[in-house]
Amino acid sequence: MQGIMRTIRDGSGFDILLLGLALIYLITFSAFPIIYNIIMSLQTVDMFTITSFNRPFVGLQNYYDIFSQPIAGSVFWNTLKFVVLSIVFQLSIGFGLALFFQQDFPGATYLRGLFLAGWIMPALVVGAIWKWLFAGDFGVINYALTALGLADERIFWLSDPDVTLYAVIIANVWLGIPFNMLLLSVGLASIPRDVYEAAELDGAGPFERFRSITLPLMRAQLGAVISLGVIFTLQQFDLIAALTQGGPADSSNVAQYWSWQLSFQTYEISLGSAVSVLMIIFVIIVAAVYVRSTRHEHSY
Amino acid sequence: MLQIEIDHLNKHYVGFHALKDINIAIKQGSFVALVGPSGCGKSTLLRTLAGLEKISSGDVRIAGTSVVGKPPRERDVAMVFQSYALYPHMDVERNMNYSMRLKRRPKDEISERTRAAADTLGLGGLLDRLPKALSGGQRQRVAMGRAIVRNPKVFLFDEPLSNLDAALRVHMRGEIRKLHERLQATSVYVTHDQVEAMTMADHVVVMRSGVVEQQGSPLDLYDHPGNKFVAGFIGSPAMNFLPATAEADGKIVFNKDSTQSIQSNFHIEAGRKLWVGMRPEHLSLHASSNDVAIDAVVTGIESTGSMTFVVLDVADQPVIMAHSGRPGNGKGEKVRLHISADNLHLFDYETELAITSTRTT
Repeated sequence: MQGIMRTIRDGSGFDILLLGLALIYLITFSAFPIIYNIIMSLQTVDMFTITSFNRPFVGLQNYYDIFSQPIAGSVFWNTLKFVVLSIVFQLSIGFGLALFFQQDFPGATYLRGLFLAGWIMPALVVGAIWKWLFAGDFGVINYALTALGLADERIFWLSDPDVTLYAVIIANVWLGIPFNMLLLSVGLASIPRDVYEAAELDGAGPFERFRSITLPLMRAQLGAVISLGVIFTLQQFDLIAALTQGGPADSSNVAQYWSWQLSFQTYEISLGSAVSVLMIIFVIIVAAVYVRSTRHEHSY
Repeated sequence: MLQIEIDHLNKHYVGFHALKDINIAIKQGSFVALVGPSGCGKSTLLRTLAGLEKISSGDVRIAGTSVVGKPPRERDVAMVFQSYALYPHMDVERNMNYSMRLKRRPKDEISERTRAAADTLGLGGLLDRLPKALSGGQRQRVAMGRAIVRNPKVFLFDEPLSNLDAALRVHMRGEIRKLHERLQATSVYVTHDQVEAMTMADHVVVMRSGVVEQQGSPLDLYDHPGNKFVAGFIGSPAMNFLPATAEADGKIVFNKDSTQSIQSNFHIEAGRKLWVGMRPEHLSLHASSNDVAIDAVVTGIESTGSMTFVVLDVADQPVIMAHSGRPGNGKGEKVRLHISADNLHLFDYETELAITSTRTT
């Protein structure tokens, strides 16, 4: 009792209080849902047992059921394409723009600011706009492609099973570019100018400077942007909901959307949980890579 | 042989004339200091030599060839930056031999020259360290090593010692000078510290507001400053200036106190307004032959141990005297200040240019 009084009097209990609040928050809103989700993925959960925690455990049966679903292969393959292609294009276009706006030209900062417009819009709104752009009959993209002679006939972006996934990827790339550009711009701006000047005097041309100065010094930022990009892309739900709802015939269905469909459309809640647990494991691996990459940050 | 020729060089930024008609000729193997207060354009001038800044008009020639419009890598110059600008992701060895690796020199040559430069600078044991694991002085040496391995036509130094503490700065001053004498390469050294400029350079260029105020050997600038700015900038503590007016036969009367006058050996027309310049180290409390004497009141004593700076009041103006001992005078005491007539400097009051041609001998 005396010890407790002393901690309060000395104010040294305050740090414990702050720590405790943060821990309570994390346990309530992160740890508990994740663990509850993992437990559900090991149980049989349906509409009748949803309200009770006392449900039959089935081991890894749900995971087995997931992989034996006929669409599982195409969903995971779509997810891989969705993530990899989104990241590749978001990163390369974002990095290119960041390098471009790093050049000193009039209005560079204002133009860079305009790119953020895409970022502040809700993904659902972005999806609605892209739905119009992609529209097969009256969409401006088809109009432009046929007018420029790049396409012979109209492409049914959102209803042709061969292209729907790519339509969603294009919209997602557009949505992710500002984030990539902004984070990489910050990284580029933190590289001192005189390091480049020293390299220039040492005889490095623009390409050499990019290869031996920019890239290695941007390693931490690139790692961060790629890892966060993977996480954001796996979270991307609204865009798919707005554009294709995973269709037609699951041609643009990806893991996160499938998980939602299983849990809340067909009420196979334990299967939905299993899919999301698989995604959590993948995200944790990516997050570990991200944390490692931040250790390589350079001080100048 | 001239290694660097700067010919009517001008540099304009939008709405700002940064360098105004600069003309400097630098001999092969000499050590030139560009010195001046901040914002005088000395760093900009150095950067135009490096090719990091474009020039607006005029010509810059290195080893007889114009380098205008050439990128830095085609100029064969090496630069040591104020911030050192080391590559943070490369260890000391890779920092130093980056230029040779870019040129794809043979591996043996790269390691041999890196090793030689590292030994010269006492960096032998640090080759595998990253810059962040080095002290300020060590980083400075790496920056120099990076320049040395290149064996360039010209070394450029942009205030390389300003981030070091005072003791290390004095030490590195000697090191750089020694290195220069060994390598015999032309060096251009930017500094705002006139002591650095005076002690290191063979040729000092004093700049102010984008203009070369005066250039010459250090002692020439000290003995014969061309104008009041150079006179005040070179020398520490700075030269004392008193406003005065000339009378007949070289007699000069101080403006603030007409009872005080000195007899100079200048022939100047009566009524001309002037500045009288006296270096603190030329003032003395003891009379000697051919000197002039002024009444003064001691208002303060600042002792550094070896030197004592006596602050005096002369004709209502503060004057500092440097005394290489410990004078027994106290505050408020009235003294006679003596200065050799040869050590008096006169400057026109309006143009601030030195009055020299009329001195009688």
